[in-house]
Amino acid sequence: MENKKSYFKLLFFILTLSFIGSAALVGEERISNVRYEIWVELDDQNKMLHGKENITWLNNTRDDVQDMWFHLYYNAFKNEMSTKIQESKEEWFEAFRIKIKEGKWGWVDVTSINLVDGTDLKPTMEFITQDKPVHPDDQTVMRVFFPEPVKPGEEVHLQLEFESKIPMSVSRSSYYQNSYFIAQWFPKPGVYEEGKGWNCHEYHLDSEFYADFAEFTVHITVPEAFVVGASGKQIKSVPDEEKKTVTYTFYQENIHDFAWTANPDFIKVERDFIASEEVSPEEYEEVARMLQLPVEEVKLPDVKMILLIEPEHKSQIDRHFKALRMAIKYYGLWYGPYPYETVTMVDPPFRTRSGGMEYPTFFTAGTRILTSKKVLSPESVIVHEFGHGYWYGLCANNEFEEAWLDEGINSYSEGKVLTIAYGPGAMPMSFQRIPLSWFCKLPEYYNYELERAVAIHVVELDPITTISWKFHDRGSYALNVYFRASICLHTLEGLVGQEMMLRILRAFQMRFRYKHPQTQDFIDVVNEITGRDMSWFFEELFFSTLNFDYGISSISSKEKKKYARGVFDVDGEKEEITSKRIKKMEKEDKKSDDKKLYITEVKVRRFGEARVRGDTIMKIKVVFEDDSEEVINWRGQERWKKFTFEKTAKAKYAQIDPDNIWLIDSNLTNNSLKRKPSRKGIFKVATELLFLIQNYIQCAASVS
Amino acid sequence: MKILKIFEKGFQTTNKKLRMVVYLWLINFIFSVLIVTPFYFLIKKDLPRSLMSDQILKGTGLLWLSDIIYKYQDLLPTLVGWFLIPALLFMLLYIFLYGGIIGRIAAQDKKTDLTSFLSDCSKYFLPFLRVFLISLVAYLVVFGGIHSLICALFNLWEKSASTEWPLILVSILEFLILALLFSIVRMFFDYVRVRLVVEKSKKAIRATLLNMSFIGKRFFRAWLLYLLVGLITAVFGVIYLAVYQPLPKIGVLLIVGFIWQQIYVLSRMWTKILFYSTEYHFFSFHKEKV
Repeated sequence: MENKKSYFKLLFFILTLSFIGSAALVGEERISNVRYEIWVELDDQNKMLHGKENITWLNNTRDDVQDMWFHLYYNAFKNEMSTKIQESKEEWFEAFRIKIKEGKWGWVDVTSINLVDGTDLKPTMEFITQDKPVHPDDQTVMRVFFPEPVKPGEEVHLQLEFESKIPMSVSRSSYYQNSYFIAQWFPKPGVYEEGKGWNCHEYHLDSEFYADFAEFTVHITVPEAFVVGASGKQIKSVPDEEKKTVTYTFYQENIHDFAWTANPDFIKVERDFIASEEVSPEEYEEVARMLQLPVEEVKLPDVKMILLIEPEHKSQIDRHFKALRMAIKYYGLWYGPYPYETVTMVDPPFRTRSGGMEYPTFFTAGTRILTSKKVLSPESVIVHEFGHGYWYGLCANNEFEEAWLDEGINSYSEGKVLTIAYGPGAMPMSFQRIPLSWFCKLPEYYNYELERAVAIHVVELDPITTISWKFHDRGSYALNVYFRASICLHTLEGLVGQEMMLRILRAFQMRFRYKHPQTQDFIDVVNEITGRDMSWFFEELFFSTLNFDYGISSISSKEKKKYARGVFDVDGEKEEITSKRIKKMEKEDKKSDDKKLYITEVKVRRFGEARVRGDTIMKIKVVFEDDSEEVINWRGQERWKKFTFEKTAKAKYAQIDPDNIWLIDSNLTNNSLKRKPSRKGIFKVATELLFLIQNYIQCAASVS
Repeated sequence: MKILKIFEKGFQTTNKKLRMVVYLWLINFIFSVLIVTPFYFLIKKDLPRSLMSDQILKGTGLLWLSDIIYKYQDLLPTLVGWFLIPALLFMLLYIFLYGGIIGRIAAQDKKTDLTSFLSDCSKYFLPFLRVFLISLVAYLVVFGGIHSLICALFNLWEKSASTEWPLILVSILEFLILALLFSIVRMFFDYVRVRLVVEKSKKAIRATLLNMSFIGKRFFRAWLLYLLVGLITAVFGVIYLAVYQPLPKIGVLLIVGFIWQQIYVLSRMWTKILFYSTEYHFFSFHKEKV
């Protein structure tokens, strides 16, 4: 009976997959080379997952493949010998260290693994640790060998059974009380790269993920009280009255990961993004013009927006949806239409530590009960995580090896959306969890200002393109791949222009949708779209640790002397010009209308090691007291250069990079130099500081 | 005597001692200028000739702020020391000044001149230093013991929380309890100092022990009076912010802003004297009754 059931199940599975397979073609090209059907049951009592998984993997390379590598991410939480926990122990910052309470570990056991013909692959199963430095006891990567190599163009069908213990309150995937956020939970094959083999890294502290595009059909069985959300579209829910459970089935093609959440307290709200209501014809025309595309190509589809929110955040439902609408609109207009029917936004269950994380068509936001409308939170996290649907979701770079490609581009994109949709946000400062902006006006800032403030500190630590787990520390990883990369892209935008930058990112997104682009692909797109060789830009700022700092080192204006002392040859005679004579001549000159001439000397310097190259120049502006201006260009190769101007007015100030293109410049203060100092700003800083100190010492005195 | 009557007397006494407010302000100002001066020269070296200094006038901006932080990041340990040591010195200085403050309040209608003020300061410095050392033990007991115990109990509740609400409540309650405990310890030792001056005594331990029974018998009235003056301090803070925040920080208004800041500091000195004036009258009234 049981066998018969399995047979029908298999037949249904194969039929489903053939249908799905035909749907997963774009033109003649097949996007997904993996198909999953997973049955998983949540054991709320024991915090366990019991799963069965059917995998069909197509060898779309020219290699004979004799093994398969799998990620077993949950084993990162199995014991303190895992790569992830070992790496976390090396962090200097206490908060970065992973601490799991006793009895709350997480793990995944593959209890069986067979080929569809029944061949048992379990005897060949072994754990692999390849990444350096080696953590030999890590169990997050597993390998099995096939009895026969999989030939190019052939498919292999595997059946797995697994049991997972869900860890409590650790990074990204965990439970707290009866709330669950389940990510990286099922055995998942790595990416087979032609000629190189399997790209399947261990689960590191500072790295995210990489997988092939696939078609997922996932059946999730949970106790009936639970509200469930997941990647993709819910296609059915079947209650089991006897067991008091419900099985939800989700389906999605052309995605490379699948996550889900279950929580009895969730409020589920659905709204539609209706493109015709969100975008005006004028906006379409404007974007089409900027992108140099026909209007039809920038038109957006409607999207079903689903929000799962905790009851205590109910009052923020509109805020969540507004941010999501803005993100769908601008990412869609600028980088290409969102290709999926649904997007599910999850208010992360309390203490599951799953906030601010992206999965295809599904992401977690993150908010607090007490919020201020002036602070762009949760807006920034919503825009950012939705944006990952484009940068990581669709343009699926290898996050282990080149995290900047999604985090950097997405941080840049997030900043652009927040600026156009909201303007600057107030500093997120609070006292005892009460937002301070309720009581006083806090400084406001744009994303790029904050990004620059932190990015300049890590320039000399690691190149942006460093492999994720090889950064100096977690701080360097985060600040480099998110903020430094973003501020460099702002700089690139300044160099090529806003519209050109849009065209670059649009071309990169559309060309590498459903693919795995690399840094060189991005550089190639930049060079192609701009028609310039910008490779140097990446060499100087992405692949190196060179500090960028140009500045004005001196400025002076002196009256041009018409006369000089000494002996001169006049009409064949020697004539001496004395000081007395000069004074007399100058007196006579004063009577005439001749204006005085001034020689202004400006010295510019390259303080940092990084320099502009290619056809790029540094712009220098000199403003004079008669409000006239001189703009000159410097190729910026030398350590310093002197520029001289002869004008009828003295210089007021000189400024290098007056358009603030080079935001990555580590010292913007020296980018300008006034001839005469002005004390107003200093007075303000000094008085503010004085007042601060006056109150500070007075507070200290209160203890005595 | 009712609390409000005592408060009124304290208020009148404080207003008679305005010269003392100026002394305290002047000391605070000079001390702060000494701390700020190196920073002033540091900033003056770079900023006045940069266009960035014009940005400063527009308000706090991350671009110029991050430049300063980046440039002087290596100075951070020096900065911490530079801020910590003067704070400790200022604490010591205030132990000295309390003698003058309370001594002149106790002198009632007598004139407050610098000589008499400083003479009282030096007269009570050593006993007050002993009071300070005893108060450190009290702070340790209250914050290391009582407050930590309360926090541990709160944490038990917080650990089993299902939403963020308990965290918010715990966070606010912990702060409130901390502030209230601080006010109690602070008030207690204020009365010890007042007792030493009124009784012209130098025996800090004896005064502390006697004060236990004095405060114990009329704790809530004394505390209410203390909190009343505390409330006035808070109101001054709110008024300061309400005026200063919207004030444009340009041109002559920069000077106006600076003057307003100094008026606020003066108000803090005034309330400091008000604390001791009210405590003096409260103590004197109840001592007479005994």
